[in-house]
Amino acid sequence: MITSIISHFHPVLVHLPIGILLLAVLFHWLSTKEKYAALAAAIPIAYLAGSITAILSCITGYLLSGTGEYDETTLNLHQWMGILVAFSSAAGYLFACNNNALQLKWVSFLLLGLLTVTGHLGGTLTHGEGYLWKTESADKKDSTAVIKPIANAQEAVVYKEIIQPMLETKCYKCHAATKQKGGLRLDAESWILKGGKNGKVIVPGSIDSSKAYQRIILDPIEEKHMPPKGKPQLTEQERLLMQWWISTGADFSKKSKDFTQTAAIKTALSALEKSESVATKRADIPQEEVTKASETILESLRKNSVTVFEISANSNWLSANFVNCTKWNREIEKNISSLKEQLIWLKIPGAQLQESSWKTIAGLTNLRRLSAEHSNITDKDLEHLSSLNQLQYLNLVDTKITAKGLMQLKANSNLTNLFLSRTGIGAQDFNTVKLKFPKAVIDTGGYNVPFIATDTQQLHPKTDMK
Amino acid sequence: MSRDHQRIIQEANAHYMQQQTRRHFFRECATGMGAMALGSFLGGCNWLASKDPSLLQTNPLMAHAPHFAGKAKSVIYLHMAGAPSQLELFDFKPDLMKLDGQDCPQSLLEGKKFAFIRGVPKMMGPQASFKQHGQSGAWISEHLPHLSTVADELSFLKAVQTDQFNHGPAQLLMHTGVPRLGRPSMGSWVTYGLGSENNNLPGFVVLTSGGKNPDAGKSVWGNGFLPSVYQGVQCRTEGDPVLFLKDPAGMDRDLRKASIDAINEANKLTYEEFQDPETVSRIAQYEMAYRMQIEVPETMNINNEPAYIHEMYGTKPGQACFANNVLLARKLVEKGVRFVQLFDWGWDSHGTEENLAIDFGFVNKCRATDKPITALLLDLKQRGLLDETLVVWGGEFGRTPMLENRDGKKNPFKGRDHHTEAFTMWLAGGGIKRGFSFGETDEIGYSAISGKVTAHDIQATILHQLGFDHEKLVYQYQGRPFRLTDVHGKVINEIVA
Repeated sequence: MITSIISHFHPVLVHLPIGILLLAVLFHWLSTKEKYAALAAAIPIAYLAGSITAILSCITGYLLSGTGEYDETTLNLHQWMGILVAFSSAAGYLFACNNNALQLKWVSFLLLGLLTVTGHLGGTLTHGEGYLWKTESADKKDSTAVIKPIANAQEAVVYKEIIQPMLETKCYKCHAATKQKGGLRLDAESWILKGGKNGKVIVPGSIDSSKAYQRIILDPIEEKHMPPKGKPQLTEQERLLMQWWISTGADFSKKSKDFTQTAAIKTALSALEKSESVATKRADIPQEEVTKASETILESLRKNSVTVFEISANSNWLSANFVNCTKWNREIEKNISSLKEQLIWLKIPGAQLQESSWKTIAGLTNLRRLSAEHSNITDKDLEHLSSLNQLQYLNLVDTKITAKGLMQLKANSNLTNLFLSRTGIGAQDFNTVKLKFPKAVIDTGGYNVPFIATDTQQLHPKTDMK
Repeated sequence: MSRDHQRIIQEANAHYMQQQTRRHFFRECATGMGAMALGSFLGGCNWLASKDPSLLQTNPLMAHAPHFAGKAKSVIYLHMAGAPSQLELFDFKPDLMKLDGQDCPQSLLEGKKFAFIRGVPKMMGPQASFKQHGQSGAWISEHLPHLSTVADELSFLKAVQTDQFNHGPAQLLMHTGVPRLGRPSMGSWVTYGLGSENNNLPGFVVLTSGGKNPDAGKSVWGNGFLPSVYQGVQCRTEGDPVLFLKDPAGMDRDLRKASIDAINEANKLTYEEFQDPETVSRIAQYEMAYRMQIEVPETMNINNEPAYIHEMYGTKPGQACFANNVLLARKLVEKGVRFVQLFDWGWDSHGTEENLAIDFGFVNKCRATDKPITALLLDLKQRGLLDETLVVWGGEFGRTPMLENRDGKKNPFKGRDHHTEAFTMWLAGGGIKRGFSFGETDEIGYSAISGKVTAHDIQATILHQLGFDHEKLVYQYQGRPFRLTDVHGKVINEIVA
């Protein structure tokens, strides 16, 4: 217990010999110049302090290595190089005390090299192989890697195509070649079956004694839950498939169709054939990013009671709602025009606009959603809007537009949602409209909830119980 | 200096001393000394010590961007206060009919606590006939003939669980995340996070019907420790929705504006001195009240809606009723109100009286709410608003598969007791799957066997649909960040479209 606490000080302590010894070397080299000759007096004490902290680092490091969470070859190398640092710095102290200038010079070169390499090895142990050149974005990509869809889940080898990719995205970061937390590796059949330092983690055929699975289903707030809090978690579907794989014997070569499948497993398997990213992407938000809109323009709009803000905290795309600003002046038109890059969702319910304002809207070429219900939009204005070729959602409820007017948008091939209730478009036009917009879901409204006698009748025991 | 003058100065001093509390001392001390220290570091530049005026310049209800682009922009939460019976509406259990009238097996009673059931109660089969509806094949009972026609719009949660079997705590848990008083309600969190799209209306409006407020009282729409500008604004459902909207005789609008400006100017000075966010709330509320004078009479008046809408919802203009509230909810959401919370009291079907009988009062409640709720969904749909409006329906818990035997005696009418282990809720619109059902109960509807969800999961899901990570929508209070879902909650991804 106490040793493990002491061992936790290793990552802090190691920085002391690095700093002190580099300073000692620097002092040593500088002291050859007359100007800095006075530094020579500090060299022995610097080497002494360096060697003491190096020895302490070796001791704590040795205790830490016992946890078995690190790659063995790197660890071995790091350990011996560390010990060498301690010896050389102690030697450096002796040479410095005895004024052995030549030997001290060699020690200083040796230490410079040793410190660099040992330090890098230590970094590799904690942050993983190749950490030095990894950029943040690459790291992010790692953790959110999407599992590629499988062509035919029934024909897939369960371990290789379903379980292994799951382990790779959710577990390898701590349980593979670079790191083996708890002494556990999950990147090959033999390692998986061998288990960690506390024994087996997967018992083929037994969910209850498979510790790996038990820790996956543990309440996420528990400390032992896997993957740890904050790390990408297994989805419900992945959990189900993992349970199925273990309970059917944790086989490494058979295909899905070789095992019995419940309805839930069948659904989970067929879901693997679909690409997840397609479903989670939103069509009404552009994929690329955009430059930030000018804050003064946004402020000026807000002063005119316009609600305008970014669609999300990490985006520059804008959404605007003119519910309290139904009449536009030149200034508003100008401001709106200058947001034409960023504005993708626009609500102008009840707007009473002049033609020039509709032309302004027609210039918002990135617009994905336009809600112009209860507005004074006419067929003529719609003609201008045909320039909005990104438009997907168009709400014209309770306006004067007609089928003829709407046809002017037939080239806007991205339209997927059209709301046309209480417009000049009647039931007789519905089929023509539908033909021109085959991709769109068209809502012409007119729903009613027919009155049923019981809606207003009250049930009472006296009249109903005979 | 005269004695009078001295007395006045003494009084003023005494008053000043009274105002200086221990907290003032510590604060002034800390910032004062901190500023002095910093000042010496920064060469007299005191930008860090200056007071933060940002709160004053921004309207606390101004619309904000959520964490990510949410599918829903607003929420209409239909809470059936008292807890409707899932066994007579959505959770069809033919096997329970076979047990009708038999003693409840010991295994269901051992170690369990009920609000009113004592001894060994009888089982009671479903008191309604069921049919499957829509392409999704959702089981819905004969009590909801209208809702059955829109079954394919709904996502059912069949295995909702709670750990509170009394109304008040269970309602608090459902709306504030904790079964005790003092936490902000869901609507407050949402307006705190998103602000309002219409600065002439409150961001969070509450409407009640059924003749009573919910048992938990007004705390279910309280702001808790959030600034009070985020609390739910309860509107009257009979007569004027908001009182004193008109300026009194002799006071014209300019004069009203001038007086509000003067009051706010004084409040701003107070804020600069004490930095209490509640002062900002007060300023915002005065301004809001002034703007509401214009907007509210228009928006809150259902009389100017066309006749076909009144027929669709089955409203009763001039009376307090659920249908009117539902129509009002649609109007408010259309105007950009973020969260509309409806409470309809009267679903507590114990069987202790006719109004609370599962075969009388309960049926009448169904009849009074079925048409308006169905109309709401269809009306939102035809206005292109259903996609961005999340509609939630549910109670605070469910009802037992057993006939209630209050204090071990037979009740005058048929009824069911409070039940925590499984009940049904549904969500629609706002990026939720259409025509879907998640979760299952056992063959008699006693306990959940799969797809269990809790109030925290539902809250997490609602926040998720609005664009929030429920773990990150936090407020610093008493030295630690608080959130709606406390330390729980998991987004129910299964029902997210």
